[in-house]
Amino acid sequence: MFNFKRPRHKLHITDENDLRLSDLKPGEKGRIIEIGGSENFRLRLIEMGITRDAEISVDKYAPLRDPIELIVKGYHLSLRGADAQKIAVERIK
Amino acid sequence: MPKKSLWSALNKMNFSIAVAGNPNCGKTTIFNALTGARQHVGNWPGVTVEKKSGHYNYSDNRFNVVDLPGTYSLAAFSAEETVVRQYLENDEADVVVNIIDASNLERNLFFTTQLIELGKPLVIVLNMMDMAREKGLQIDTDTLATLLGAPVVPVVGRTGEGLDLLKEKILRVSKEISSKARLIDISYPRDIEQEIEKLHELVQKNDVTDKHSRWTSIKLLESDKQTRDEVRSHTNGTDILDQAKISIDRIEGIFKDTGRAIISHARYGFIQGALRECVVEDLADTVDYSRQIDRVLTNRWLGLPIFGLFMWLMFKLTYDIGSIPMDWIDAGLVYLMNSISGLMPDGMFASLIVDGVIGGVGAIAVFLPNIFILFFIIAVLEDSGYMARVAFIMDRVMHNIGLHGKAFIPMIMGFGCNVPAIMGTRILESRRDRILTVLINPFMSCSARLPVYVLVAGAFFPENAATVIFSMYVLGILAAIGSGKLFSQTILKGMSKPFVLELPPYQRPTLRSLILHTWERGYLFIQKMGTVILVGSVIIWVLGYFPTEVEIDRDYVSERATVTQGYDTQLVDLESKFKLSVDKDHREYHSEMIDYESSSSFLELQKQFEELRDELSSEQTVALYSLRQQEFGDITEQKWIGRVGKIFEPIVRPLGFTWRESVALITGFVAKEIVVSTYGVLFGVGENVDEGSHGVISGLRSSGMTPLVALSFLVFTLLYTPCLATVAAIKRETGTWAYTLFSIGYSLGLAYLLAFGVAYFGGMFNWLS
Repeated sequence: MFNFKRPRHKLHITDENDLRLSDLKPGEKGRIIEIGGSENFRLRLIEMGITRDAEISVDKYAPLRDPIELIVKGYHLSLRGADAQKIAVERIK
Repeated sequence: MPKKSLWSALNKMNFSIAVAGNPNCGKTTIFNALTGARQHVGNWPGVTVEKKSGHYNYSDNRFNVVDLPGTYSLAAFSAEETVVRQYLENDEADVVVNIIDASNLERNLFFTTQLIELGKPLVIVLNMMDMAREKGLQIDTDTLATLLGAPVVPVVGRTGEGLDLLKEKILRVSKEISSKARLIDISYPRDIEQEIEKLHELVQKNDVTDKHSRWTSIKLLESDKQTRDEVRSHTNGTDILDQAKISIDRIEGIFKDTGRAIISHARYGFIQGALRECVVEDLADTVDYSRQIDRVLTNRWLGLPIFGLFMWLMFKLTYDIGSIPMDWIDAGLVYLMNSISGLMPDGMFASLIVDGVIGGVGAIAVFLPNIFILFFIIAVLEDSGYMARVAFIMDRVMHNIGLHGKAFIPMIMGFGCNVPAIMGTRILESRRDRILTVLINPFMSCSARLPVYVLVAGAFFPENAATVIFSMYVLGILAAIGSGKLFSQTILKGMSKPFVLELPPYQRPTLRSLILHTWERGYLFIQKMGTVILVGSVIIWVLGYFPTEVEIDRDYVSERATVTQGYDTQLVDLESKFKLSVDKDHREYHSEMIDYESSSSFLELQKQFEELRDELSSEQTVALYSLRQQEFGDITEQKWIGRVGKIFEPIVRPLGFTWRESVALITGFVAKEIVVSTYGVLFGVGENVDEGSHGVISGLRSSGMTPLVALSFLVFTLLYTPCLATVAAIKRETGTWAYTLFSIGYSLGLAYLLAFGVAYFGGMFNWLS
């Protein structure tokens, strides 16, 4: 249940080259690797179900390109692109 | 503990029940279904978070129910979370009823895990079971109840299915209180569990808290500030905090994350384990209807136009349909005023009642239909789930001024009336966003300002009136955007919360809850606005009524007599001329066939005479009327209100204003459209001026006002201190005088600055002089 692969880091995201949630296109799905940003931001996301290893998919972008509509844990929620960029994901089928 | 009442001897008891859960879980629907209309809406002490309470009776026991604000956790990040946590920790509720959206179980249970850890007797309600079934979820409620250690009741709040069972369960859990119905513990991974145990032992041994000791231990691992403060204040408290630090370091070392994030992840781990045992997902033939609807409503291309259409409809309905009962209320008020004036002898008291109280409160009462319709529409948008989509669609725009997408709705509504718009800021979750939206809302040019624009622009810019009026609206929007940016970077800096917005499934709202929501908000409006407006209009009345005896330089009585006399002489002249002509004509009349009185020449003469006489009498009426209004203007100048205007004249002189503008602006503080009727009084046209009134237009033009000053006056009218009702709404929604006074001062300052800018730079380049 607790398979934390990544070493602890201040920003919690070590690799600048990691794929980010904001890089996924509508219809694509990813698995969350790590959540960056401030402690309060991270906790807020975690309590909303954006947890490590959770599956998340991008449903669509808002008409003005921002924010993004996501599906996680079977429900829809929306994040701004700038915040989605703080979430490292790996693409899954 | 149950509150003992006189009935307790008969085994009838009072229980207090707290309804808690996530936003959008249908909490309020269940609360409404339980309590019916027996509700009371107020505020939680110290914060502007709505507190709703009500009660119901079940098998001879009374249950007092409090509807806690919807929150996602008990982390106490927001005002709502703090309220919920304090209420639950302070042991005020005998039983906590946790409402869960069954179609969104996993995330809803995150909050439940914290309620379980609080150690309160708990009843878990699986709401929206119909939607869960539609989604293909089969939930084994018995297993779930065992895993969570609390009864689980499936209900459908919208239809009332399962409510009786819920009441029965609440009763049973309430009665078991004495036997301390024990909940299970949320189990954590072994490494965390060890540290919790260490802390738990210390906490229990030293008896540092009156709260559930396991809850306190877990909160210590989460470095929760409140808990740490509480523990620190006890003897041996520092020992416990030292142990907490060691424990946190240990789990942080193992899990490579912060204590709080580890605990939160572990809670989700527990939930996932539990759900594996009791939920079967059958995804075959399920349709996500909300997603289908959103394919259109938040579509890349259609989303914005459809939203625009909805906004337009909202406006149209609010102001067009609202204007029908508005006219009735208006007529009713006139009738009321007339009949009271008829009943009471003329004098101060009659004037106070008719002009002060009915006139002032009536000015607000006419807005009631608008306000109720608007609140109804907002309730539809909220209950259906569309409001979240509004935030989604408009966030990009509002983000520019540091606001949440939802703030767009109150901003647009401000074009109608700032009062309901400011009350509409309740749809925003963060207090900071609410305050920011409240502060910039008055710059959205409300409909009461339009008559002023039409009058002044019509008088001074007849060719370009539409352009001038439109630029006022644009200026208002710019002022709102500019101020928003300024505030979000200065006084309201850094309080912004991350934008994490749930897009709940669409639902068909029930009429019952729509009416309840509309009534709640409308009632607050009546209650609060009513009192403030009453006081305000009485003050303005006093200023306009006293002193009762004023000295005027002109002798209007004799002037009136002169006018009347003049016309009387003219009339006598006319009559004698007519007589002479008739006599002359009669002498020259020779026909025997018809009487002279029926002859065409006599009738012609008579017609001429009558026309001239009517002309004369209407001229006289106009002259007397104008005289009376001039007198009224002169009297007003001598009244306190005129004197106040004179006092402020030096201050507004740099803007090109005279004491008249000063008085108009002061009275406009009650309601901005009053500026027009004040001008009507000052220029002797009477109070019932409409925007096109020629008397006021010519009065304004001949008062020495230049087009430039007129423009500066328009700018000032647009921006200066919102009306009394708006101030009352600001006070109510921000909850402090500090922000209210700031809003008054800021808008006055901005109005002065910009109006001065117009007058000064315009004067420098000799524009529009």
